Amino acid sequence: MTTAVERLHAALEGRPADRIPVFCNLLDQGARELGVPLRAYYASGERVAEGQLRMRARFGYDNLWSLFYVGKEAELLGDAEIVFAEDGPPNVARHPLQSFDDVARLEIPRDLSTHPALAEPLRCLRILRREAAGKHPICAYVTASTTLPALAMGMERWMGLLLSGPADVRDELLAKCSLLVQRELELYRAEGVDVLLYASPFGSTDFLPYPLVRDLVLPWVERDLAPGGTAGVVYYGGGARLGPVLDLVQARTGVGAFYLGPEDDVAAAKRAVGDRALCAGVINDIRLIDDAPATIRAEVTRIVAAGMPGGRFMFGTVLMPFGIPEANVRAMLDAAFELGRIARP
Amino acid sequence: MHSCARFYPRPADPPAPATAEDSVRAAIQAYCEAIFDTDRARALQVVEEAIARGMTPEQVVFEIVVPSIDRVIGELGPAVGGSLAQHFMAAQIAAEITEAMISRFQRGPEIVGRVVIGNAQGDFHGLGKRVVIGCLKAHLIDVVDLGLNVAPERFVDEAVARGAQVIGVSSMMVHTARGEHGARAVRRLLRARGLEGRIKLAVGGAPYRFDPDLYRVVEADAWAENGLRAAQVIQALIREVSP
Repeated sequence: MTTAVERLHAALEGRPADRIPVFCNLLDQGARELGVPLRAYYASGERVAEGQLRMRARFGYDNLWSLFYVGKEAELLGDAEIVFAEDGPPNVARHPLQSFDDVARLEIPRDLSTHPALAEPLRCLRILRREAAGKHPICAYVTASTTLPALAMGMERWMGLLLSGPADVRDELLAKCSLLVQRELELYRAEGVDVLLYASPFGSTDFLPYPLVRDLVLPWVERDLAPGGTAGVVYYGGGARLGPVLDLVQARTGVGAFYLGPEDDVAAAKRAVGDRALCAGVINDIRLIDDAPATIRAEVTRIVAAGMPGGRFMFGTVLMPFGIPEANVRAMLDAAFELGRIARP
Repeated sequence: MHSCARFYPRPADPPAPATAEDSVRAAIQAYCEAIFDTDRARALQVVEEAIARGMTPEQVVFEIVVPSIDRVIGELGPAVGGSLAQHFMAAQIAAEITEAMISRFQRGPEIVGRVVIGNAQGDFHGLGKRVVIGCLKAHLIDVVDLGLNVAPERFVDEAVARGAQVIGVSSMMVHTARGEHGARAVRRLLRARGLEGRIKLAVGGAPYRFDPDLYRVVEADAWAENGLRAAQVIQALIREVSP
């Protein structure tokens, strides 16, 4: 019997397995499963671990997430106010940096393993490892240094600083953010994480023009990844299209896996990386709220048909909003499991 | 915001103009190239040079800025992958120049209409809204920015108090777009108060881009996939309710 970890390694190395890996992220749904509000859920690493283990067991997908919510990293950068909803992910209501002057005062925590903001996520991660290490890939989420400032100071302020602000302030902030990214990656590797989803929306041409991605973002990506290398790293655009930068990022960093955006052309992406990297074909899961199961199956069919030829392919999701009916989650996953079967030679 | 004096000094010896049409065409081309390159300084320089060649502030707005936005919409559309940064810069620069030029118009500009705009309750992502505001200002639409995390009642109360023709609700998260405290609630209030014939409801943000039918689910009158397009959509809504 092939384990999910073996299945993922086979896909990464271009070897056959029973089927393609199928990744899913039912994060907030874990709270509903346990019958607790999201605020209480995310206050406890035990609860999140229990919720994630139950969701994976119920739906049968391959991976487990140690991620709580994306805004969590803002708490590593200072005094952030997080607002909780009952029907969607928490978001950052007040960012740690309120002005460019705050950049000079920003201090990156030296030891993340003892940082209060990571106490519960690490507790969750250790439970997931205890329960599933070696069987199911355990994923961590790390925001790239060129995107992290959006969590630190908000998108508007970061976009202004990046495009037309003082270059010395921009570079000081990026250097500090890169240090945090390096420390996060080191921590998660030490904690036994299998997959490091490196979220780099600003490293996509949906966010910045190609010359800026090449000349401004890529050097910071290289710096983020330099100490620990690219093992386990998956380059992710946060749902943005990666097609136009795949060649560039792969050549400059040697990253071996790309988690595409829902609007990416899967077949073209696979041609772009050839046998140098795995591509994850990703469904537009916002549509899963309203689409009929037959429509969902047709969409999975389209993605899998485009991605499977040649191997080095997996299926994935992006947001998985709270409001998706369970029947539609099942329709998507059943189709991915069935259509992703690999015929043995 | 910088003062216009800093950006638009009149050089002692402006370059010799070609024909007026050539001059405008060249200015639009140079301005658009600056926007594509997210080069704010170059875009402002183009305007400086146009003024130096004798263009009026009215001409700068109506013959360079507004046509350039419309051209940028076409050339940065989804098919060719225009970036968020390009939209952001296009909107910010256009708004900045328009505001600076309006203060120098011979007569006060004729405002097209008024919009109250904000992020849905629970939503704290203001970038998309800011892009929309920049584009609206460049099209001489008066904008009342209600900020982030706006209650539905406030959208409607402010629209009535300010005499706005359109309410714009921005949502960057699925639950703030679809939830009971966002655009749906604004629609219910407009209906309950008998305002639907006077005030239109427009929505925007990532969830609408990934599900183009979503605006119907939340009972909005229209949506736009980006800030640049929003200016066109909102102008059309204003025309619908204007006498």
